[in-house]
Amino acid sequence: MNRFTRYLPGLVVVLALAYLVIHALSTGDPERFHLQGLAGIPVSENGRVKPLDTVARNTLMLLGKRRFFTDAEKRPQPAIRWLMDAMAGKADQHEVFRIEDDQLLRLLNLKPKPLFWRYSPEEIAPRFAALQGQARQALALPENERDLFNVNVLRLYKQLEIYVALRELEPSSLLLVPPRSEDEEWQALRDLAAQIKNNENPAAGAVYHLLTAYADDKPEEFNQQLASYQILLGQRLPDRVAKVEFELFFNRFEPFYSCSLFYVIMFLLVCVSWAAYTESLNRAAFWLGVLTFVLHSWGILARMYILHRPPIINLYSTAIFIGWGCLFLGLTIEAIFRSGIGNAVGAVAGALTSVIAHNLSTDGDTMEMMRAVLDTNFWLATHVVIINFGYAATFVAGIVGAIFILMGVFTRALQRDRWRMLGQVIYGIVCFATLLSFIGTVLGGIWADQSWGRFWGWDPKENGALLIVLWNALILHARWGGMIKQRGLAVLAVAGNIVTAWSWFGVNMLGVGLHSYGFMEGATFWLLTFDVSQLALIGIGSLPLTYWKSLQPAARRGYAYLCSSYWLAAHGKCEDNGSKFAAPVVNSQPTE
Amino acid sequence: MMRMDVSPSPVLEVTASEPALETSHPARKSSTLWDALAGLTSLRLTVVLFVLAFILVFCGTLAQVDAGIWTVVKQYFRSSYVWIPLQIFVPRSIRVPGSFPFPGGWLIGACLLANLLAAHIVRFRFTWKRSGILLLHAGLVVMMLSELVTGLFAAEGILTIVQGSSSNFVELHDLKELAIIDPSDPDVDHVVAIPESRLKQGGIIQHDLLPFDIKLVRYLVNSDMPRQPGANVSNPATAGDGRTLVAVPRAPVTGTDPEQSGDFPAAYAAFKKKGSGESLGTYLVSSWWSDYLQMHGQDRPQQVTVEDKTYSVYLRAKRVYKPYTVTLKKFRHMHYPGTDIDKSFSSQVRLVDSIRHEEREIEISMNEPLRYAGETFYQSGFLPGDLGTRLQVVRNPGWLMPYVSCLMVAGGMIFHFGLHLNTFLRRRAAQ
Repeated sequence: MNRFTRYLPGLVVVLALAYLVIHALSTGDPERFHLQGLAGIPVSENGRVKPLDTVARNTLMLLGKRRFFTDAEKRPQPAIRWLMDAMAGKADQHEVFRIEDDQLLRLLNLKPKPLFWRYSPEEIAPRFAALQGQARQALALPENERDLFNVNVLRLYKQLEIYVALRELEPSSLLLVPPRSEDEEWQALRDLAAQIKNNENPAAGAVYHLLTAYADDKPEEFNQQLASYQILLGQRLPDRVAKVEFELFFNRFEPFYSCSLFYVIMFLLVCVSWAAYTESLNRAAFWLGVLTFVLHSWGILARMYILHRPPIINLYSTAIFIGWGCLFLGLTIEAIFRSGIGNAVGAVAGALTSVIAHNLSTDGDTMEMMRAVLDTNFWLATHVVIINFGYAATFVAGIVGAIFILMGVFTRALQRDRWRMLGQVIYGIVCFATLLSFIGTVLGGIWADQSWGRFWGWDPKENGALLIVLWNALILHARWGGMIKQRGLAVLAVAGNIVTAWSWFGVNMLGVGLHSYGFMEGATFWLLTFDVSQLALIGIGSLPLTYWKSLQPAARRGYAYLCSSYWLAAHGKCEDNGSKFAAPVVNSQPTE
Repeated sequence: MMRMDVSPSPVLEVTASEPALETSHPARKSSTLWDALAGLTSLRLTVVLFVLAFILVFCGTLAQVDAGIWTVVKQYFRSSYVWIPLQIFVPRSIRVPGSFPFPGGWLIGACLLANLLAAHIVRFRFTWKRSGILLLHAGLVVMMLSELVTGLFAAEGILTIVQGSSSNFVELHDLKELAIIDPSDPDVDHVVAIPESRLKQGGIIQHDLLPFDIKLVRYLVNSDMPRQPGANVSNPATAGDGRTLVAVPRAPVTGTDPEQSGDFPAAYAAFKKKGSGESLGTYLVSSWWSDYLQMHGQDRPQQVTVEDKTYSVYLRAKRVYKPYTVTLKKFRHMHYPGTDIDKSFSSQVRLVDSIRHEEREIEISMNEPLRYAGETFYQSGFLPGDLGTRLQVVRNPGWLMPYVSCLMVAGGMIFHFGLHLNTFLRRRAAQ
């Protein structure tokens, strides 16, 4: 047993590494059509050159919130097959459109498919006219008067439009044919019929023949065409091909998916280690955390390499980055205090931000091009990174605060040493968060001054950042003024979660201002749920200390009230006396 | 047993090495002035002010759902008090009347400044340990003063130039004016401009240079584009385009409005000949016919004729004339290929200043402004169809202050927190 526990951390890390290696090497089953080769050919979509695979995955994500689809035999199939089927007009039976709205299902005469919720164009077609009628009505309404049904009707209608455009080979943003020379742009296949006919554009001809070979079900011709097109691309766009190949690997490797898996395992390890008091499980969680950190960092660096941009370019990448920042801080705390708290913080924050990132990735390509005003690597690298690291630090303080409260009220684990230690952790992290959020906010102001001559415009996003600075400064000054001690720190840090979540998402929901780049329905519900949960934690944390299980003497729990007075009198001295959240002064018996 | 033992807690040691403004009592001087100052130094007051500032900023953000950003800035942040409507806290589908008073940004800012200065004056003692705190708070003073300087002295306007032509004035879009132009002089136009504040007062407007008096019949702060009246709509206009088109009032624009970025006011004005009082007609003037049409290279003046002389009347954004002329040589607007995502905008301009005898030719683009003689020119927009450019021209004497402040505060914080982190880690290593 002893040896087992000693080698446990190593074992966990080796297993995780093995999983990653297998994941990286698997390229799917060999196929009649070399679709995996096709997945790596470069195309230009929404202004960015990317592998066709990225287009396929993102389109599927947009239609059905998944990056693969299931065929008639319920086997998972790669996105690229769906895309090729769609372009060849063979995808009408693939169930890829996610419809959950019960009213919409009734409109379309569809049976609910619980847990799956995906329907094929063929299933929707009979009632398409009804959908079109509803979409027209919804479109006529002003945007702020549309209800959920209107919004869902419009969304499905737009998704069908995307599908039809693919079938007709004419999505306006997808350009399949590479430029022939430096001064040419990428072009759409449908614009090049004459050039293909006259053999003037070999690349266009190759793409055209690839598509027809697939549509006519001629695998040999397809594979042959593909091989010669790959050679052509290698000669004409050698740099592009290498980068696109890398992006294809990134797509298959899915580092952030593996990260979210590891976060969950890490959290379970910490929980078991606390329940069973086994230090080695906690060490295993830490080393798994380190591996996850490396993987998460690699994922961020890979995105930076593909885009030639700093790590954060849109709302999706803030979620990825904040998860990374929380893990970094969590592991740092763990390295200093070695109590499992840091692991728990990193795992919880990592898992939650993974879920958020997943839900933010359903609008299409998460590696989008920057609009003119945001097109500055310098400010993206400084202001945006620092402010988001500030968000991460504020969340870490809040999560430690939550652990403090839950541990203190519901368990006996928050004994005096740990009580003080968590207080120190929260205090230190709040200092760090103040520094980052202040510098980040001011740098944002300086960017605004550089780009439109207004250092501070009281824009909602700016105000959100200012609120975080104010809140952190408030916590620190209340601490320095002796108004709060450890428990007050914990409670106020949890409130900081609400402030940060509001600044991160809430202000976007107001739909005001220059910064509102992310519009999300349904997210409002989750934000409010989060706020309510944090308020509940604050309520629990504000309970009189007599109700805190950790402060009740171990024996004679039935006499808790009487006995606690004895303990509290001793304890109250170095705890919350005199603060806003103070314990009731219970019959003090000086023990000094 | 050990747990019962209350030793001097290490936590308290940490507090002792904190700034501890509250604990170090200076037992010197005891005049009433000094007492008052000492009362101002309380950290409790700081925390209370932080709470107030927090609430104010939060409410000022919520208020932007209903009101324009500049209205909010004036009401909430650049004021000494504000009446906060209860409506901002509930969905707009539920009507809630009533409001409550709250200290405004300038009041809270002034109190924070007083609190901060008092604390540092009363407890001033320079040690290396405290130097970070001193530096960062000095930086905060600079920051607060910069917001004051900006609020009091900054001015911004929009310079619109059509490709190939020149302009020598900026427009202040949040202020309007009624401009009456006498074009009879072949060299220059003579303009009488009546500010919006005067228009809102209503009544009769007289000016020595004008051969008529103007009576404001109606002033609409925001309106839709003038359109054909429906049945049973009373139309006060008796002359000009207003006879066939009417202005329909619209709620003042808010920060969330996706269709409008600013108000488009309209007015009905009755013109009466000076002396005789003979009516020249009631006209509709609308900023849709000036500010909006001008973006498309047109305008629609209302013509008022008195004794063979015709005046053009506009309701338009207030103009401020500059001692320089800016010519737009080339405007470039790039998209990412195959999309309508803007990649970049830039304006090749030539600036000629006849007073300072300066000439400059420069390219202004997003994030790369031109700074000239205390003013900064930013690429802020363009005319529909890329016909011309819109530059934001800003004069802010305090623009450098935030840069200085940022360096001071960042330096102070890094020094102070670094010192404590170092102490903490060393103590932990020793344990």
